[in-house]
Amino acid sequence: MSGHDHDHNHPHAEVGGEGPPGYYDIMETAVRELLIERGLLSAAEIRRQIEVLDSRTPALGAKVVARAWVDPAFKARLLADGWAACGELGITSYDETAMIVLENTPQVHNLIVCTLCSCYPRPLLGLPPDWYKLKPYRARAVSEPRKVLAEFGTVIPDDVEIRVSDSTAFVRFLVLPQRPAGTEGLSEDELAALVTRDAMIGVVPATPIGGPVP
Amino acid sequence: MSDTRDFVRRLPNDIGGLAADRIDRVEHALQPWEKRCHALADVLDYHKIISTEAKRRGVEALGSEVIGKLSYYERWIVAFANILFQQQILTPVDLARKMAEVGARWETHA
Repeated sequence: MSGHDHDHNHPHAEVGGEGPPGYYDIMETAVRELLIERGLLSAAEIRRQIEVLDSRTPALGAKVVARAWVDPAFKARLLADGWAACGELGITSYDETAMIVLENTPQVHNLIVCTLCSCYPRPLLGLPPDWYKLKPYRARAVSEPRKVLAEFGTVIPDDVEIRVSDSTAFVRFLVLPQRPAGTEGLSEDELAALVTRDAMIGVVPATPIGGPVP
Repeated sequence: MSDTRDFVRRLPNDIGGLAADRIDRVEHALQPWEKRCHALADVLDYHKIISTEAKRRGVEALGSEVIGKLSYYERWIVAFANILFQQQILTPVDLARKMAEVGARWETHA
């Protein structure tokens, strides 16, 4: 069945615009179009998924963290079942991965990694930064997390336990950072602004009042 | 060090705990084709054609030399092609013909 789209959808030419597409760019277009021609997926599904990817940013994770900071009952539900609690805020997953939220405390600091590839809580944080996908972080986070954190400017005292959680294709993690001191009077939106992507990976703390320590 | 045990104990993706360089906090905005490749991966997963885990294994099957030389999304699209050949959904000839067509399309549009 050849349900070929006759909309001449050539995103490489429309968006890139400068220079010919590369070999792998052409391969992507070719694979996608062949699958569409065979009726296995549709161009609309690809477009819709690009919109989904564009709509997922760390602001979603920050909203979840800020709510957990102000609402202990919500936090308990979040730690018990990540996606169920996120659903209360209208944030849903777009894949079938489980979400485990890891709470930082004065005694425990959590760090997430994917040693095998690049698994990441994408529905809450968007796509991962390149360094998360590259060998130095993946190789070293599990064996020398204190050194790795120090390279991000984060020094964890020796009496604080560091727990490193290794993500998989089926289970993803999000770090719930500690609420910074002196934030008692802030609104939920103001609190969310202190929660960065890197804080939810666990490589830095939430931004203290007055901005990050240089 | 020619001890072959190091090769058989770890597949190419299994790098947790190995010695490595300092972390260089690099980031880049995805190129349009990279974002399309990511969307394609997600849609293939939704349709149970290529799952996330199958994709990871497909990348691993490229072997460490290819993995080391291709960029992240280049590995993905090559892995997808190989998996689709194995599943007999596409043939290498199908892909070669379509790639020639796509390349020629750009030349005529340019």
